Amino acid sequence: MRLTFDASRCCSSGMCESFAPDVFEIGDDGALEIHDPNPPDSERARIQVAVAACPTGALAIEE
Amino acid sequence: MDTVVEPAAAAPATPATPEASGRAERPYDPADLSSLAFWSSTAAERERTFAELRAARPISWHPPVEGRLIDDPNDQGFWAVVRHADLVEVTRRHDDFLSGEGIVFDSVPKELLDAAQGFIAMDPPDHTKIRRLLVSAFTPKQMARIEDRIEANARRIVDDIAAKGEVDFVREVAMLVPMHNIFDMMDVPEHHRLTLAETSELIATYRDLPGGDPDETIAVLFESLTRFQVIAGEIIAERRAHPGDDLVSALVQAEIDGERLTDADISSFFALLMVAGNDTTRQSTAHGMKALTDFPEQRAWLMEDLAGRLAPAVEEIVRWATPIMTFRRTAARDCELGGQRITAGDKVIMFYASANWDTDVFEHPERLDLGRTPNKHISFGGGGIHHCLGNQLARRQLAATFRELLTRLPDIAVSGETVYGHGTFFHTVSSMPVTFTPEGR
Repeated sequence: MRLTFDASRCCSSGMCESFAPDVFEIGDDGALEIHDPNPPDSERARIQVAVAACPTGALAIEE
Repeated sequence: MDTVVEPAAAAPATPATPEASGRAERPYDPADLSSLAFWSSTAAERERTFAELRAARPISWHPPVEGRLIDDPNDQGFWAVVRHADLVEVTRRHDDFLSGEGIVFDSVPKELLDAAQGFIAMDPPDHTKIRRLLVSAFTPKQMARIEDRIEANARRIVDDIAAKGEVDFVREVAMLVPMHNIFDMMDVPEHHRLTLAETSELIATYRDLPGGDPDETIAVLFESLTRFQVIAGEIIAERRAHPGDDLVSALVQAEIDGERLTDADISSFFALLMVAGNDTTRQSTAHGMKALTDFPEQRAWLMEDLAGRLAPAVEEIVRWATPIMTFRRTAARDCELGGQRITAGDKVIMFYASANWDTDVFEHPERLDLGRTPNKHISFGGGGIHHCLGNQLARRQLAATFRELLTRLPDIAVSGETVYGHGTFFHTVSSMPVTFTPEGR
């Protein structure tokens, strides 16, 4: 599983971070940092929720 | 403007623009969401109307709200969104439902809106750029860094009432908690804090001013806006000269597409942070105290393990309070929502208290359940681009305040009449006496 991120769409709402703070983090500059762009499959359910929560569709999961 | 509750009486106030794609001829729903009487009733009474709409007519068209500050000839009414799922959908369809035309239900002079709404009434891409300037100050990580300040503010407020035994909870607790926390983040000097918090309160409660004459109300609001702008202007100038690491300094130092923000822009963002910071958590704190008084068995359950149960309790208090009752959007284009045809320019109002009582999502929403899990309340928003920037701050403030209050003044309870406001935006509590055994006795 690979995470893709379109920074131009990100509005830094932090919704992803609220569901998976170990993977997503809004940094001190207000930009999203993805700690692990290749999270293990065991984390899939949680990551899917975090990705779906993005209000601008800036996040996606590539298989 | 008459109170329009019967469809037969539902003539628009002003002849409608004919090309407004049938808006003027659209029949009004018989349920009343628009009258002064509706907004002067209690949350429980309003819920009866919301329940009827949620069950039978979840997207319904209503006449303009009564008691508006100004007459707007283009305002022939609004769509009411009352179900949880529909509110989330509107929130997330920010391309269809815009904020830039205004986010409040009432019709308010544009000068006032421009001066106070800030980036909450902006759409992408501008909204995104401004929000990003401020977001880092509100992240969970940053909130953890300022936890000591939040706890110190809660301690200070309880210190000041602990010996009294009887206070107005709104003035002496609920108002002061968010005031100190947001103004710490903005580094507003102590001597300006009460003046600004009172200005903020006036913005939240102008529909309760005695007299109720719109022109007088507008005059009072402009006067208060001027007072605000003098203080904000002074602070902005000082930060331009001596920037620190506070929110106002972040705004004066920011560049958007290579340009600095103007003083007018910064003043408007200042006003938004002030109002959003003060008038929300104030209401949640007050409604929370009332709920803990009204549901003693829930309070007893909480006290059995305060540290372990406070987090879900805070969520339920925020649902119970629903400090912001409505947000407005405006349709960007003709589109569909919940089976209704919405036309470009239509006002769409989301009813947060209704969504927080939706039985499709909440079992027995009429019961305070401090252990409610999951608690999918939308008090901070439906997860869209305007989702409450301060949600982590609000949660931490409420936890710190109730931890301090319930530990040090364990028998604190509402002891007299709770006075509610009649606004359409904030779910305000104007006064609420509490009594308690003074600390140390």
